[in-house]
Amino acid sequence: MLRNRYGVESRAGLAQMVVGAVGSLLIGAGLIAVLAYNWDEFPRWVRLVLAFGPLAASQAVSWWVLWKNDGAKPWTRESAALVQTLAIGAAMALVSQIYNLPGQWTDLVFWWCVVAVPLAWVLKSDAAAMAYLFGVAVWTIAQAGDRAMGSPALDVAEVRIWFPILLAGILPRWPGSDLGNRPQLGSRLVLAATALVGLLAVAASARGQQGQLTGSFTVFPWLAMLSSALVLLFPLDPDGVAEPLSRKPQVVLGGLAMVIMALIATYETPARELVSGVEPGLRLGWCWLLLAVLTGFMAVAFRQGRFAVLAVAGLALVPSLGALLSPAGTGGWPVAIAYSLLLLGTAIVLIALEFLGRQGAARIGAALITLLVILRMADADVSLLIKGLVFIGIGCVFLGFNVLVSHHRARVPGGSPT
Amino acid sequence: MRPAALVFAVASLAQWLVPLVGVWQHERIIARGVAVRFECGAPDPYDPFRGRFLAVRPAETMVLAPEGMPNRADRVMVPVWATLVADEHGLSHIQTLSLEPVSGPTVIRLGACLSGETNGAKMVSINWPLDRFYLNERLAPDADRLVAERLGRGKPPVAEIRLLDGQAVLTDILLDGVSIRETVKQQAK
Repeated sequence: MLRNRYGVESRAGLAQMVVGAVGSLLIGAGLIAVLAYNWDEFPRWVRLVLAFGPLAASQAVSWWVLWKNDGAKPWTRESAALVQTLAIGAAMALVSQIYNLPGQWTDLVFWWCVVAVPLAWVLKSDAAAMAYLFGVAVWTIAQAGDRAMGSPALDVAEVRIWFPILLAGILPRWPGSDLGNRPQLGSRLVLAATALVGLLAVAASARGQQGQLTGSFTVFPWLAMLSSALVLLFPLDPDGVAEPLSRKPQVVLGGLAMVIMALIATYETPARELVSGVEPGLRLGWCWLLLAVLTGFMAVAFRQGRFAVLAVAGLALVPSLGALLSPAGTGGWPVAIAYSLLLLGTAIVLIALEFLGRQGAARIGAALITLLVILRMADADVSLLIKGLVFIGIGCVFLGFNVLVSHHRARVPGGSPT
Repeated sequence: MRPAALVFAVASLAQWLVPLVGVWQHERIIARGVAVRFECGAPDPYDPFRGRFLAVRPAETMVLAPEGMPNRADRVMVPVWATLVADEHGLSHIQTLSLEPVSGPTVIRLGACLSGETNGAKMVSINWPLDRFYLNERLAPDADRLVAERLGRGKPPVAEIRLLDGQAVLTDILLDGVSIRETVKQQAK
């Protein structure tokens, strides 16, 4: 019954799928390389036939797979979708080559993604969906890089508009028209990573525009924090909330990015720059959009009782409070101290939630406290002997706490020490 | 027809249309456009998808700014329309730049951004819409070496393009009036 409910792929089926995807990837990549050799001995029409022939053949195969509907094995769907995806790229590349089409490789990647993504929908292909997400992320980074570096290109795309649109292109696959298609773990990881990287690239492009216009200030760190909080708080259904952290890469990646940035902000200079980015940030429509979506996500997380992720995501709002409340001329110290205390508080919440039987992360909380103490000790003006003894003490406490958590988890009904 | 089949049919059509529109536009310009030649540089980089090419860099990259040229702080280029005129050697140069579209057989749409002053006159940096001449990977290094040698002797290669309605298609790179492809093939024999 559980198998019917969740449709779990058997190990043999999964292996077939991976082998099918790798084979298709090699065929498609080989096709692109063979065409990129540039067969200039052939007349133009022969080269056009070489470009469109593989595309036509792959379309015919995909049509056959689609016609078989549920009779087609998953690995044939994956292989057909991936080969066709790569045949599209090969056709577009060869036409550019034959006609000396100008423009960057990113133009090709953009159109490639746009016309290939329906294959992920109709053939229910994870490989094609992941290829699409990867392409979208690469394109967004390249476009944002052009903008941030002040590249003198004529038609640089506005990634703040295009990235969300392109990311939404995956919705017909996940969660699908019946809202029931949950991505497998590998697909979730790609989805979370590309969403985070794309949002960070958009934040970097905003920095480029603002930095060029007004000088030294930067809005990137705060926008990056807000973006990480969005990924961390992405709403889940009750089944998703109940899943362990290892099956929620968006929480791991978003939380990791958030904590790393918060740890950096425990130093005075980064904290000052973070606060100085709030006022120019609030002049950007993109910033307000992030804040609006974040508010919605926070409300959903609160209703679902996801207090641990809320505690971490809340770190993104500190710079705005710092800009509002800290007196002029105090530099970054109030915010740096606030981040140290909040990280400590977050760590305690993560530990307490687990011991209270709620969704927490005691080991992550302990690691966070350890990191904080190490950072503060590293820049403290005390002798190496004292630092060494403190590090040994922290190490012993950390290991002892690890044992304590293992015992606690073993005592919980159905629990495991790991 | 099932919805999935319909989506697949539309997507398959789009997969043909995107490259075919490029083919149609370029065939049209090649068939009906005006041939124009100008001096250029052409080093040999590499594209991960499309292989080796000569990066065509027209010699004329800084020209007088048109009246009312905006100063964009983010350095994103603005479109301008250049009218080309040929000299006594048949090589074209930019005669005028306009921020508004202009018509004419030798008009080309370019990208431009302000780039400082020369003798008190505002100058713009020009971005040409033709930057790639693809070559067989066996021939490209020889072509690169040949171009470098000629540039050293002050005899740059000449790019041949076709112009129609402001759009340009690069058709060949010439060395002494002969296609660089043919020259390199001859030398390889």
